[in-house]
Amino acid sequence: MNLKRRKLLVEPPSTAAPDIAFILIIFFLVCASVQPDTGKLQDIPKSESNNESSEQNQNLEVSLTEQTVMVNGDLVPLASLTNKVAQSLAGKTKESDRVVIVKSSKETNYQRWITATTAIEAGGGIITIQVEQEQVQIVQ
Amino acid sequence: MGDIAFLLLIFFVILARAVDDSHLQWQPALTPEVEPVGAALASVVIDGDRKLYLNGQSISADALPAALESLLEGVEPGKRKVLLKVDKEATADVFQPAIEAISMAGGDLMHVLNREDQSTQ
Repeated sequence: MNLKRRKLLVEPPSTAAPDIAFILIIFFLVCASVQPDTGKLQDIPKSESNNESSEQNQNLEVSLTEQTVMVNGDLVPLASLTNKVAQSLAGKTKESDRVVIVKSSKETNYQRWITATTAIEAGGGIITIQVEQEQVQIVQ
Repeated sequence: MGDIAFLLLIFFVILARAVDDSHLQWQPALTPEVEPVGAALASVVIDGDRKLYLNGQSISADALPAALESLLEGVEPGKRKVLLKVDKEATADVFQPAIEAISMAGGDLMHVLNREDQSTQ
């Protein structure tokens, strides 16, 4: 009995080259987008201006500089900030009571700011920033 | 057919890269816990030279709030995510106005950060 043997295909047909290229591009595009950005969502209410007075005084105030962290005027090590905020906010259930006003000196860098605000949020605080407004006075 | 698809793909890839910010150089800050940021409507970058960019285009701090408001106009709450990519050495006088602008425009602020065990981006 004679069986017909097919010829072995030794190379892909050249007409398939664009399709192969297309598939390769899709593959590399998918590979390139495999590493997504990571980060942290932060809910920041609209910032307070320096001029507002009465209500914000009841909120916790954290002052940041390059070297120091102060909570309502008391020096606190950055490592203890979460505990200090948690203690200060203990018993406060209303969101408005848990707002923590963060004031940063101009030299405070972003890494320090992120570390501090992460600590405050871990202590139950809701961050709001206070931007110091520059006032120019012309002296005659 | 394959050739046309190929050219279209190249075209859209180039188009997509024209609005991205991957050409900007910045070093992300580190934090213990991070989550995937997902898709966002806009990205604000402050690079290593303390320059401000919106969607990869240079912009002044004064113009940022209005530009963000026009980008977020009509977008329903919960879908107004804005990525903030700040070099970790940038100072508060540069990044605080950007945070404020995002907040004032009603954007959902997403800081782009690395986990602390990731030393480099």
